[in-house]
Amino acid sequence: MQKKFVFRGLAAATIAACLAGFSPAQAQDAYKIGYITDLSGPLASSYTPTWEGFELYIKALNDRGGIGGKKVDVVLDDDGLKADRAVAAAKKQTERDNVLGIFGLSLSSTQGPVYAEMRKIGVPVITTFSGILDALPPAQPFSYSTGVVFEVAGDAIGELIQNIKKGGKVVGMTIDSVGGRAALAHNKKLVLAAGGQWDEVIFPVATSDFTPFAQAANEKKPDIVVGHYGSGQNLGVIPALRRSGYTGPYVVASYGVTEDTIRAAAQRAGSGDNIFYVSRYSSAFDKNPSVAEVAAAQKKYGTSKPFSSMHVTGWALGKFAEEALKKCGWPCTRDKLDKIVQTLKVDMGGLTGGPIEMVAGDGYGPTYWRLYAWNAKSNEMEPKSGWVKREAKGYK
Amino acid sequence: MEFVATVVILTCTYALLAAGIVILYKAGRVVNFAHGEIAIVGGYVFYSSGMMFSGGEMSPWLAVLGAIVFSVIMGAFIYATMMRRVVGEPFYVAILVTVGIAIVLKSAIIVIWRAQHLTIDVGIAPAIRLAGGATLSYMDVASVALTIAFFIALYLFFTFTRLGVQFRGTAENPLLASQRGVNVNLVLSLAWIIAVLAATLSGVLYGGRAFLSTESVTIGLAGLTAALVGGLDSLRGAVIGAFVVALAQYLTVRLIDPVLSEALPFLILLVVMSIRPWGLFGTVEELDRV
Repeated sequence: MQKKFVFRGLAAATIAACLAGFSPAQAQDAYKIGYITDLSGPLASSYTPTWEGFELYIKALNDRGGIGGKKVDVVLDDDGLKADRAVAAAKKQTERDNVLGIFGLSLSSTQGPVYAEMRKIGVPVITTFSGILDALPPAQPFSYSTGVVFEVAGDAIGELIQNIKKGGKVVGMTIDSVGGRAALAHNKKLVLAAGGQWDEVIFPVATSDFTPFAQAANEKKPDIVVGHYGSGQNLGVIPALRRSGYTGPYVVASYGVTEDTIRAAAQRAGSGDNIFYVSRYSSAFDKNPSVAEVAAAQKKYGTSKPFSSMHVTGWALGKFAEEALKKCGWPCTRDKLDKIVQTLKVDMGGLTGGPIEMVAGDGYGPTYWRLYAWNAKSNEMEPKSGWVKREAKGYK
Repeated sequence: MEFVATVVILTCTYALLAAGIVILYKAGRVVNFAHGEIAIVGGYVFYSSGMMFSGGEMSPWLAVLGAIVFSVIMGAFIYATMMRRVVGEPFYVAILVTVGIAIVLKSAIIVIWRAQHLTIDVGIAPAIRLAGGATLSYMDVASVALTIAFFIALYLFFTFTRLGVQFRGTAENPLLASQRGVNVNLVLSLAWIIAVLAATLSGVLYGGRAFLSTESVTIGLAGLTAALVGGLDSLRGAVIGAFVVALAQYLTVRLIDPVLSEALPFLILLVVMSIRPWGLFGTVEELDRV
């Protein structure tokens, strides 16, 4: 009788523990962080490799023994590029999974609501792409980014394309979005300041046949065309521009654009000549030990997407996360993690041109950008400039 | 020349879509809101079939076979499992079913193909060089040739074959056709198969020129607009409607504002619907049925 009672008591305790969602013992075993991104929506092809790069870093880190003997657990959720799903996932991760901070995120439309919700409950959010300016000085609390902000990218591209041709007419192309227009505006400012001419073609977001838009761009007689959009648009625009008869320089702004996309676009266009690429992070073809480390991890653990600069981007975020958690120590709390991230400086090796460096009131820091050229013969990306530095100040 | 070529190719894509919509409306009084999704899924199936056993190189023959099998099965399946059950119900029931099909097919793109942007790289080499350096690919030329072939085949089918005549009879008066021994279910299944085939062809040609993605399904709206502008029960109207939509889109990009290119066809639709609600070539008596 007593045995039966004890058994029932144990069963009840087990069920109660299960219903509680997680046990304190589990929470103490590892650093738990969240990652939200678009793995099934329209931009999944851009965001998946970035997640894979982050995952590779965490796998390698855990295989090395984790941080001070504690593993890092990542709770992954797919937002499908929908703001409501991203917010629901963030709430789930903070309330049920009890994560210390949230990493990744997809488009600006999902970032804004997640930043805002997490701010209310004091959870640091560190994005890999940034369509909004929350992380830029004066930064909103708990808001950080190690990714691409369109305004900053527009400036960097405006400066770097002077390496292709000084002066001349630049035609900027983008989708009809806030981020795209912001990138164009900053690109334009730098082009005009350098004595060049500017024109632009903006097309609807859902466009997938770019032929008339490419013809419109070509009709403006550009010396350089710059495309401010993601992988899919480049896959369509590059062949359409070449079909329209434009053979001049085309610059890919690296907003989640993989090298594989450029290879495919070049193949479709019939030539990879005169295709350039501006990136915040190193290309997958860069010959340096840091990129080689990412490539080795990709070979070891495997990824669903071909190795690209987006894996490098995700890996860099992983490196940033490790340093933040390491400095946070054990046990780490959300408040403590946030305080650490506010002034965190992480050496990126050769993953980009300098460290990722946050200071109080600046959740983005200086960024480094580089111009690459596609080598049509070897089907590889080659650096065409050194890294140029852009401060995050002056964008608000 | 480049202008003419682009408008003609765009017209072909939309005309194939509009033709499918018209055939379904004529045969079963169904306005298909899933036509864009069917077209793009057809394109994805073409791609996947072609890549299935070829180690990275697309096999056009396997791709064509896959697309035909998909069209036959999908068309017959939609009719047998869904549309047949709503025969005799108010017209909006069938429309809602097609909206449901659209949602399921769009989800299939996400689940099966992970929403990948895919391009159909068959015949993409330049075939014709135009003045100014612009080029047309073999796929572009094929778009025009296959569309013309499709419409000629439709004409021959409806005019000279027994099944085609039965089809026309069913479209005219399904009850009478049924009483005269016409297998109405067979005819309606066939209508769905032909419509899916036309949509798939359109999706494949589109994937050769642009790319396939979840966003690409919006071409269905252009096809529907073309069908409505031309008249829902007129195949001739489908071609003219497609031309009007393609021309309007192109001129908007080049002369007005590229951002408005998606909205302008709908403006044309509103104008046509307010002046001739039955479309440019539709029959007036069909109006009360929509």
